[in-house]
Amino acid sequence: MKKMLLLAWSIIFISLPLFVFSQTRTITGTVTDDKGDPLPLVSVVQKGTNNGTTTNEQGGFSLGVTGNNVVLVFSYSGMQSQELNVGTSNTYNVILRSGGQLSEVVVTALGIRREKRALGYSAQEVSGDALVQTRQTNIVNALRGQVAGVQINSGGGAPGQGSRIVIRGVKSLGPGKNNQPLFVIDGIVMDNSTITGGDAQASIRGMSNRAADINPDDVESISILRGGAATALYGQAGSNGVVVITTKSAKAGKLRVNFTSTYGIEEVNKFPDVQTTYTQGYLGVYDPNTIFTNWGPTVDAARAIDPTHPDKLFHNYARGYQQGNQVRNSISLSGGTDNALITSSFSHFKQNGVLPNSDYENFSVRLNTQLRAGTKFRFSPTINYIKSGGYRVNAERYNEQLSYWSPRWDVQDYIKEDGTMQGYRDNPIYGTSVNRFKDDVNRFIGNLSATFSPVNWFDLDYRGGVDYYTDFRRHAAPGPRGLAGERNFSDNGLGFVREFRISNRILTSNLIGTFKKDWGSSFNTTLRLGNDVRAQKFDRVTATGSELDIPTLLTINNSKVRATDQYMEDYRIVSAFGDLSVGFNNYLFLNVTGRNDWSSSLSPGFNSFFYPSASLSYVFTDHLPKPNWLTFGKLRGSIAEVGKDTDPYETNAYYNSSILTSSSQVTWTRGDRRGEFSLRPEKTTTLELGTELRGLNNRIGIDFSWYKLNSRDQIIPVFVSPTSGFGSVITNAGEVENRGIELVLTGSPIKSRDFSWDATLNFSRNRNNVVSIKEGLTEIVVGDWFGYVGATATMKYIPGYPVGNIYGTTYQRFYGTKEDDKRTIDRSLPIVIAGTGTNAGFPVRDLTQRILGNSQPDWIGGITNTFAYKNFTLSFLFETQQGHERYNQLANFQAAFGTAPFTADRNTTKVFSGVLANGTPNTQVVYMGQGVGPDGRNYTDGYYRNVYRGVTENFVEDASWVRLRNLSLTYRIPTGITRTNIFRDASITFTGNNLFLWTDFSGFDPDASSFHSGSNVDAFTGFAYPSIRSYLVSLNVNF
Amino acid sequence: MRKFIYYTLLSLIVIGAGSCKKFLDVNTNPNSPTTAPINGLLLRVTNQTALNVFRVGDITSYYVQYLASPNAASPTDTYDQIDASGTWTNLYDVMTDIYDMEKMAEGAGATQYQGVAKVLMAVNLGLVHNLWGAAPFTTAFSGETPTPTYDEATANFARVLSLLDEGIALLQQTGSKITMPTTATSPDLIHRGNTTRWLKTAHALKARYLNQLSKTPQYNPTAIFDALSKSYTSNADDAFVNTFDVRNPWNAVAVANAGQILQGWLSEYYVNMMRDTVNNNFDPRLPLIATVTKFPDHPYIGTRNGKGRIGTGINQEESYLSTTGYYSSQTSPLFIITYEETKFIEAEVAFRTNDKPRAYAAYLEGIRANMTKMNVPAAAMNAYINHPSVSVGADNLTLELIMREKWKALFLNPVTWDDARRFDYAYQGFILPLNAVQATFIRRLIYPNVERSRNGANVPNVGSVIDKLWWDQ
Repeated sequence: MKKMLLLAWSIIFISLPLFVFSQTRTITGTVTDDKGDPLPLVSVVQKGTNNGTTTNEQGGFSLGVTGNNVVLVFSYSGMQSQELNVGTSNTYNVILRSGGQLSEVVVTALGIRREKRALGYSAQEVSGDALVQTRQTNIVNALRGQVAGVQINSGGGAPGQGSRIVIRGVKSLGPGKNNQPLFVIDGIVMDNSTITGGDAQASIRGMSNRAADINPDDVESISILRGGAATALYGQAGSNGVVVITTKSAKAGKLRVNFTSTYGIEEVNKFPDVQTTYTQGYLGVYDPNTIFTNWGPTVDAARAIDPTHPDKLFHNYARGYQQGNQVRNSISLSGGTDNALITSSFSHFKQNGVLPNSDYENFSVRLNTQLRAGTKFRFSPTINYIKSGGYRVNAERYNEQLSYWSPRWDVQDYIKEDGTMQGYRDNPIYGTSVNRFKDDVNRFIGNLSATFSPVNWFDLDYRGGVDYYTDFRRHAAPGPRGLAGERNFSDNGLGFVREFRISNRILTSNLIGTFKKDWGSSFNTTLRLGNDVRAQKFDRVTATGSELDIPTLLTINNSKVRATDQYMEDYRIVSAFGDLSVGFNNYLFLNVTGRNDWSSSLSPGFNSFFYPSASLSYVFTDHLPKPNWLTFGKLRGSIAEVGKDTDPYETNAYYNSSILTSSSQVTWTRGDRRGEFSLRPEKTTTLELGTELRGLNNRIGIDFSWYKLNSRDQIIPVFVSPTSGFGSVITNAGEVENRGIELVLTGSPIKSRDFSWDATLNFSRNRNNVVSIKEGLTEIVVGDWFGYVGATATMKYIPGYPVGNIYGTTYQRFYGTKEDDKRTIDRSLPIVIAGTGTNAGFPVRDLTQRILGNSQPDWIGGITNTFAYKNFTLSFLFETQQGHERYNQLANFQAAFGTAPFTADRNTTKVFSGVLANGTPNTQVVYMGQGVGPDGRNYTDGYYRNVYRGVTENFVEDASWVRLRNLSLTYRIPTGITRTNIFRDASITFTGNNLFLWTDFSGFDPDASSFHSGSNVDAFTGFAYPSIRSYLVSLNVNF
Repeated sequence: MRKFIYYTLLSLIVIGAGSCKKFLDVNTNPNSPTTAPINGLLLRVTNQTALNVFRVGDITSYYVQYLASPNAASPTDTYDQIDASGTWTNLYDVMTDIYDMEKMAEGAGATQYQGVAKVLMAVNLGLVHNLWGAAPFTTAFSGETPTPTYDEATANFARVLSLLDEGIALLQQTGSKITMPTTATSPDLIHRGNTTRWLKTAHALKARYLNQLSKTPQYNPTAIFDALSKSYTSNADDAFVNTFDVRNPWNAVAVANAGQILQGWLSEYYVNMMRDTVNNNFDPRLPLIATVTKFPDHPYIGTRNGKGRIGTGINQEESYLSTTGYYSSQTSPLFIITYEETKFIEAEVAFRTNDKPRAYAAYLEGIRANMTKMNVPAAAMNAYINHPSVSVGADNLTLELIMREKWKALFLNPVTWDDARRFDYAYQGFILPLNAVQATFIRRLIYPNVERSRNGANVPNVGSVIDKLWWDQ
């Protein structure tokens, strides 16, 4: 070693005089990772200039440099960038270490890798490692808490269930309008819809968002492009932001094999509380058959009447769920030569849900190749096949039925020996075992990208892709068998079989010409011109057979009543765009884009729309003198507009047919939805300002953005009174504004040879406001959700108020001389108590729907801490969503059925605090129970059924939460051990997801939603598939 | 060369632009047309109007205690606030299709279709009016106004009558540019294209609605007799539908109940009135309607409204609508208005005008017509009718008897709730349901949630379901 050093120094000293005065020389070397593997495509830039290159497949580089005190900056996605002070040597070996979520190069629109410093808008990248650590089954869930400005809510904990991801707030107000970002995988647009087409069941059975088809182990990195300028090149499809996924690709050299195996168990993370005193019955009278689960006498009193009554009530919400489990195995093989690289991966995933009889399975095979013909032509075909699906349950119905099921009976005792249902009424567990819905998706994603570089200043790129899937869904249930004493599960009717055949195909074609030119040493420009075509075709056929002849034979052939229907949809869009970037001295960058879309879904004359963007990035630390502690500083700003069309067939009104089966006659009726010929595209204007600062040797970093988005000409299917002749009208109905800030703080408080601590904090807040809605309308109803006796909660848009407001009935307040706006609720005022009538002494209900809360969080955030000590890595992520409410339907039912803990006060009397209609304080003592009270007055159904359950205000609860989203511990098996064996590298990881939850919400975890993941109606929960906590162990081996 | 390139580029642009336009021309909905055949609309509105009678009857039958819920304190039984959004939406959806058919017929000079549209509009608007009173009409249906305003209840009632008059005038015209098919598979499911029968139906409906004014000063017996004289003369004239998608909707109720999805349970009050143990005059229609229990000594047992089932509900301990019953078999007729109803109207008006012999004759004819229609065996029919508790003689006839027999004969028809309210529920032995949440009998419905949330600004305030509508004061 000493000898080597001596030799090196000797060479340097000898060579020194030869070079010290020379102006131009060529630096060569190789770049490897910390395991010694070469890194291709590493950006090598001479600091302070735009002189740079990238490494070849062997990690080699060669760069001509001029000047003295040359510093080279090496940067690569997912790696910490490194600066090298070039001395007298011309050859250097550079080792880049992995880590750091912020890297120098990000993948931006159209898969173009760009230096982050040149971006005039915010982009945040998450490395595959960070994603994989959470072992999330759905790639969308894996992003939770990791990226500022991105709100993700899982629809629920069902196997394979869809998750909702919204970047910078809701921009399209229509309840079914897509507000989720565009997913792009290796440059090819991918469908991430949650298809619920044609079946009400599908929208409530926790269907997957199609991004769930991706194997998280295949992902190299994910970039989130948030702003309008970032996404202008994707056009309207990117108007909600873009999630750019880059998959792992091979490196030249020896064959590598990576094997990952994960096993985990899961359970419901939070159950609703129940009262345990009062049993089944009504008016305090025991009745083991009544629908009233908990309005009977006390358990002891019931046991005196019925000796078979259990000594304790069953907690059937808890007993209705079981432990779930999941297993994933994936293997990837990669290798090749400089001219032909191949990666292939195979994975299998199976999850059994916590709700009985729910599961999900996913197989994925992927082949990724990179071929090179000479120096001018590169060619890269990729194909991915995915098969996924499973038994989906209707969790809403399940939890509703659990609420009807008295805790006097054990819900787990559900089946008789002959296979028919056990129990006094519909048993939900039995229901999931016989009333079954299964989907089976077969999906091909194939794409071809080709690059032709005839001269060094011009590249021609073509990408063609196809994303095709079929989804075969089947929903079937047997009919009653006609046995003595048999009880039929009522949702099964007389038995039915429903088959769905769905196919969806997206073809994309994208051609870009890139012209690069350096104008002397300080100016460079890149101009891109392109054309983009997207064609989507959807087809669904549904066949239903009901009233089965042989009750248990589940085929349409066995049905007495048969019906079919069909839906087809075609959608096309053609675009032309240009993108000009200008760099000045590598510290000032200007980017201007323009795009014109021609969409098939808008009427001729309205279907062509243009939108521009401009962004500026200024790395002031490379221009102005800077303090020593500041290593990097940048200011950025952008302004952009994005247009957005509408769904097909929304520019007209239609008639729908149905058949009278018995006479084979076709009836026609006016369709429920009215379109408008002159619909204009929605337009969103984004203004964004931000800064990035790094200091103390890159140990601390700040990324801050402020933005304002105005979305005008909103295309909304406005729900209208059915008396108008339509149920909804599609129209350009208004403007919404989103304003917000995003902050990312990164720090490495400790960095030593054996121990390091890295921390990332994300914070974002978004404020939105409905600026205006269509003239003539005062409000737009987005959705409503049932509550007993008028307690239905409604989401509405009202000008001047934010998106996400929840409206419902309240306790009447005493306004006296104060003015009542009939819209808001003044909780500081006393409640009005009825002085006379059947409800005398009880609070008065106000049936006017008033604002009770808002479903959009005030702010969201996440903190990730990663500690590495020798071979151990410990990482944990806290996530929070604060300042939002949700309507808890379960609480409404719990109040109606006497299950809620607070209904245990039914045997007491009290004086409700409040005033009578004349303003004098209420003094009347009332009984809280049912029937005749101790005062001899008949309280009929009692306070909770007569008043409480009909007041929405009681059930719109604070849904804020903080959770330990993820905790993982990785042990990397020391290389000393692995190297002697056949492994190159091996590690074992223990992960816990959703380990702790802090919330005031009374039911299940408020994260789950009653509407499917594609819906903007996110204010309602209660009966949704509960969220889960999971514990996983994962083994990763590299050969 | 330069010219060549120039022209090539130019032609490429032209071809490109042209093919682009064609490429994008895919927004014609392949699933649905923008206009509908008039006969497809006629089929729809005749079928759906009958179904609306069912949908409303499925609410009112609990209020007049034909039916009772198997569940204790079921909201419909106990006058609790129910959300009739589905019924409301169906009523307006059908009126919307009637509106379209009328517009289309008017444009085509198809007076027959236009006349039928007016009559059916009257039927549906009448149902809306009798449940809620004030409701949208003048600004409804066209889609021009997303939040239609509410017409006063009295205006809607006047509209029902004027629609009938307009319908009569149109149906009397000859030379309809399009005539309704008169075949057995005619899309006119009610009268198979027979305009004479439509005219009779229009007059029968007119008599029904004029008679509804019995509590008001506008009550006009002369006009009612006039309408009756132009209406039905026999059971063959009835307005009904018996062509359904799969089955009569009451049959669907009975079939579901037989499959243990409990519904269609007969009320204790109804069963007791039909058994009539007080007078010992068992109504022979009951076995044609109800299932028998498992108790040989008590073949017919009803369920007390509001009380719910006694046992488990699946052991034939009560009587239900039978899957083969007269009103609830697969192909049972679903009646809109019938000959016997006109006879009972005649009996009531004659009674009110003190023409007892006419009232008595019409009363007996009403019972007989209904029993004949139901194929009650002649001996049983005569035994029932000739029983002294029924054949009381003209002098002893009471309004209660007329209303009671009308209530029996118009089983499940929503018009009986209008009668009950006019008659202040003064049926023999009629009492409040168990666990009633109101102190008196129900008089109207609360506006449904779909209106309160989508058209809240226009929905009139309603105090309670015991508030009386204008004609019921």
